[in-house]
Amino acid sequence: MPFTALNSRIVEARIGPGQRMFSQRGAMLAYRGEVSFTPNIQGGQGGIGSMIGRRVANEATPLMTVEVPQGINGQGGAPIATVMFGHGGHHVHVVDLTGETLYVEADRLLAFDGSLQQGTMFMGSQGGVMGMVRGQVTGQGLFTTTLKGVGSAAVMAHGGVIELPITPQRPVHVDPQAYVAHRGDVRNKLSTALGWRDMVGRGSGEAFQLELSGQGTVYVQASEEKL
Amino acid sequence: MAQFRLQGSKVLAVDMTGDAVKAKNGAMVAYDGQMAFKKMSGGGEGLRGMVTRRLTGEQMAVMEVKGHGTCYFADRASEINLVRLQGEKLFVEAGNLLCTEAALRTGTTFTGLRGASQGNGLFTTTVEGSGQAAITSHGTAVVLRVTKQYPLQVDPGAYIAHTGDLTQHFQSGVNFRSFIGEGSGEAFQIRFEGEGLVYVQPSERNTVGGEV
Repeated sequence: MPFTALNSRIVEARIGPGQRMFSQRGAMLAYRGEVSFTPNIQGGQGGIGSMIGRRVANEATPLMTVEVPQGINGQGGAPIATVMFGHGGHHVHVVDLTGETLYVEADRLLAFDGSLQQGTMFMGSQGGVMGMVRGQVTGQGLFTTTLKGVGSAAVMAHGGVIELPITPQRPVHVDPQAYVAHRGDVRNKLSTALGWRDMVGRGSGEAFQLELSGQGTVYVQASEEKL
Repeated sequence: MAQFRLQGSKVLAVDMTGDAVKAKNGAMVAYDGQMAFKKMSGGGEGLRGMVTRRLTGEQMAVMEVKGHGTCYFADRASEINLVRLQGEKLFVEAGNLLCTEAALRTGTTFTGLRGASQGNGLFTTTVEGSGQAAITSHGTAVVLRVTKQYPLQVDPGAYIAHTGDLTQHFQSGVNFRSFIGEGSGEAFQIRFEGEGLVYVQPSERNTVGGEV
């Protein structure tokens, strides 16, 4: 896996010959070796069709392609370049995927392996009308970015990140503002604890929660602030 | 009994089996199992508590969390310190109190001039009884021991909490230089005397005193 955490806010990626990765534009802090950075107009992989999909879904955060130029070869497959990424002083959490799907908002995605398959998913389809409401309440929109395959992704959070396992016996409820990302075969819906107390402004401040059930992991940040 | 443990330095995990804890309003970030959230009001229970709250302005919004499972709390990515109380009283700024066991009593107390210099009002929150409490700090807090021989001076903006039998005085080093704008920025301190522990954070809140 190519990411190494240098500290809680900086990750280092090793790029070998013929490898490619994507990162948020302007998130490079430093690099060693021969690396080229090119703005990626399509916002990732998949050609024009995917680009339009991302535009429509408002998941089109400006990305750049990070790769080693052709014709440069490392010796014995050794990494020939390392690039350090960080952005806005946010905490960075590395997620290693082994075939499952990661769901994350595009603007929280700092960098990811070119080997991962990128897509967008309509979250409103889960939970019907409540799915629509969830998008409004969480401020996270109705679409989310998905990454699938084998590889690593670096995700940004405000404050440190904890990983909570989700099993069929143990669904997890997350504060929508503290939710960062999730992976695996997980269903999510908005659950409310809205009572008359909330209506008259005496709520506990925990009126809405995201309920995640199924099999997987959810990433939660130690803060209720957006990036 | 609710079990308090830290998950990393910024997330508090509380394992509950049908019991309850009191937490800062809105500080829950995630939970598994069954939880119910109910708003309470800080400053102690009952009518007296309500009156105190109104008078002192030390009104922290507290919720009661009750259920089976694990509940995770965090507050704006601040560091969390666990304090185990054995019958003594913890004095803490309302904004720094994240979570307490339900068995602990919370109240307000008069702090005098110290509070005014901190920009936190004249009152502070007290937590009393036996059990665990979690307090937040901006950066990792240090716990400093105060003994009869060794009093301690603390910057009002860096003070977060104390326990034990301590008396506190407000002292100022305001002199001619501060008046003409040449102060060192350390014009005010709180002096603790007696026996106890003081929690100090490596960061300074904006205080009235800090400007002098």
